[in-house]
Amino acid sequence: MKVGILSFAHMHAYSYAEALNEISGVELFGIADENEERGKNAANQYKTNYFHDYHDLLKEDIDAVIICSENSRHKEMTIAAAKAGKHILCEKPLATSVEDAQSMIETCKKYGVKLQTAFPVRFNPPVQRVKQMIDNGELGRIVAIRGTNRGQNPGGWFIEEELSGGGAVLDHTVHVVDLMRWFMNSEVKEVYAEVDTVFNDIQIDDCGLLMLEFENGVFASHDPSWSRCKTFPTWGDVTMEIVGTNGVVHLDAFNQHFMVYNDADHKVNQEFWGNSYDLGLVEDFIHCLKEDREPSITGFDGLKAMEVAIKAYESAKMKKPIRIRNE
Amino acid sequence: MLKVAVIGAGTMGSAHSEAYVNMSDTVLVGIVDIREDVGRNLAESQRTNYYKSFEDLIASESPDLIDVCVPTSLHREYVEKAAKSKKHVICEKPLARNLEDARAMIKICKEEGVKLFVAQVVRFFPDYQKIYRLVAEQKLGKIGTVRTMRGGVFPTAWDDWYANVEKSGTLIVDMIIHDFDFLRWCFGDVERVFAKSHLGRDFNRIDHTFVSLRFKNGVIAHVEGSWAYPSGFKTEIEIAGSNGVLIHNSEDAVPIRSTLRENSLHISGVAVPESPLKTGPYQVELEHFVSCIINGTDPIVTAEDGFKALEISLAALESVKTGKVVALKEVD
Repeated sequence: MKVGILSFAHMHAYSYAEALNEISGVELFGIADENEERGKNAANQYKTNYFHDYHDLLKEDIDAVIICSENSRHKEMTIAAAKAGKHILCEKPLATSVEDAQSMIETCKKYGVKLQTAFPVRFNPPVQRVKQMIDNGELGRIVAIRGTNRGQNPGGWFIEEELSGGGAVLDHTVHVVDLMRWFMNSEVKEVYAEVDTVFNDIQIDDCGLLMLEFENGVFASHDPSWSRCKTFPTWGDVTMEIVGTNGVVHLDAFNQHFMVYNDADHKVNQEFWGNSYDLGLVEDFIHCLKEDREPSITGFDGLKAMEVAIKAYESAKMKKPIRIRNE
Repeated sequence: MLKVAVIGAGTMGSAHSEAYVNMSDTVLVGIVDIREDVGRNLAESQRTNYYKSFEDLIASESPDLIDVCVPTSLHREYVEKAAKSKKHVICEKPLARNLEDARAMIKICKEEGVKLFVAQVVRFFPDYQKIYRLVAEQKLGKIGTVRTMRGGVFPTAWDDWYANVEKSGTLIVDMIIHDFDFLRWCFGDVERVFAKSHLGRDFNRIDHTFVSLRFKNGVIAHVEGSWAYPSGFKTEIEIAGSNGVLIHNSEDAVPIRSTLRENSLHISGVAVPESPLKTGPYQVELEHFVSCIINGTDPIVTAEDGFKALEISLAALESVKTGKVVALKEVD
């Protein structure tokens, strides 16, 4: 099976490339990147072909692509790949508007290609264990969920709205909302949010707080802020506290780390030693192609998680809770 | 020596009684509780006198200070009795169950020329005092987001009053008012709140709440409260600013963890955490109020602060009930 990567704008492209190299029977056929320096360096690093124009890579005999461009270009690349008959694993957020996400999903359906949204956190073993606890009914009925996905200001195109479509709230809402939806098989029906820019001298939002209510009556909160300062010992977190009628579980997804104190770097670092969830995601995508089954995380999943972030911006602007229609 | 009487022999009445016995400027002259067995037990253990009624206590002991530790919905009745008897009053938090009662309590104490203190004890916890100072000194830079968590198991008390929404106002009025008061101390007044809780939903003795607060100075705060845990109690606070992040969890700040073999004193295998202090926060708080009375100085938390914290709790409760954003009233 041959796979191409369209753009290395998003840093996850590097770990996806490594994952492709680790999976037997899969070949990273080529990398397309309009940023020639970045693309050529990556192609050298992973010993693969470089293409300046991604359309040229799509003309090659490849089975699938992983799209890691700036968010605003997901739509254009997904549609081009679908038309070229390539299956797609698209970095999150799926798009920057609900309409774009819908047209991506429809196009992939029309051309008979699979579209998977890259929510790798679903492949983090502690997250999977909590999912299992919920499915087994160990927590009883879910009462409330508190989520966080804090981080640091990633800079670059992430803080340019025309390329990213939004700041911290868009970047860091979708993972945890996806987990909440997955855990409960229920959709968000109401969003309230506070959004602001405080930590950085930038034009895009860097902090926020979301209050959610699901169709099943469970309420939740989520903190997507880029609130980790430069000296913080790690990039950020994914945590969830799930309150059930039988008890409470606290999940700190990346708390498989130890502390390293280093005088040479003047730094204190959390070194993560848990399993690579990016590998889990890419493996799942490859299996879904080999078995010709529905992706485990669909384009629709990507759309619904992103929609919550979009509604959060709307809520913050209107200063009131916003309803979401679910079919 | 200030003569103090404690009204209510529950958890807080017991903690306060013990503090007064330990303090050098006070003498505990009596305990009042309508439950004779509970009241007598506490009075005996603290070597003081038990009274079935407030009136008997006043007549026999003529205390200088009344400490009201009864359920919230009874605060006004006892604060008014104390004020009319010309006694200074310390009232447990929340000041009252509604703003009308709280306002009336403040008013009558003023009219009768007695001092009214509200026991917002978190302002006297050494960890929270240190957090307050770090924020005041702007060590973290400009503050963007604040998160607090307080909670544990559903509380059990006389008449199961915590489970009675009309009496307790749920954990939003009873418990996370601590965090509302603390955050108001740090960041000033609140602009608007939006809240979710299980008020009125079909869970038995399980409640959990998330409150979104926007302060007038721009700070976004998330205050979480839980009465949903199977056991235990914990607090968490995190403050993120442009220069740094402060994280404090009660479960981490534990200098002693012991796991002892089973004997007459211990149940085997249960790890017991301890964080001892020279003087507990309840005593620090009461010593402060007593020194305000003796020296005629102002307390670091006023009855008016207690009123403002209650306003936030009630706004959150209203948001839960209406599903709408609730703006706090402008300061008059």
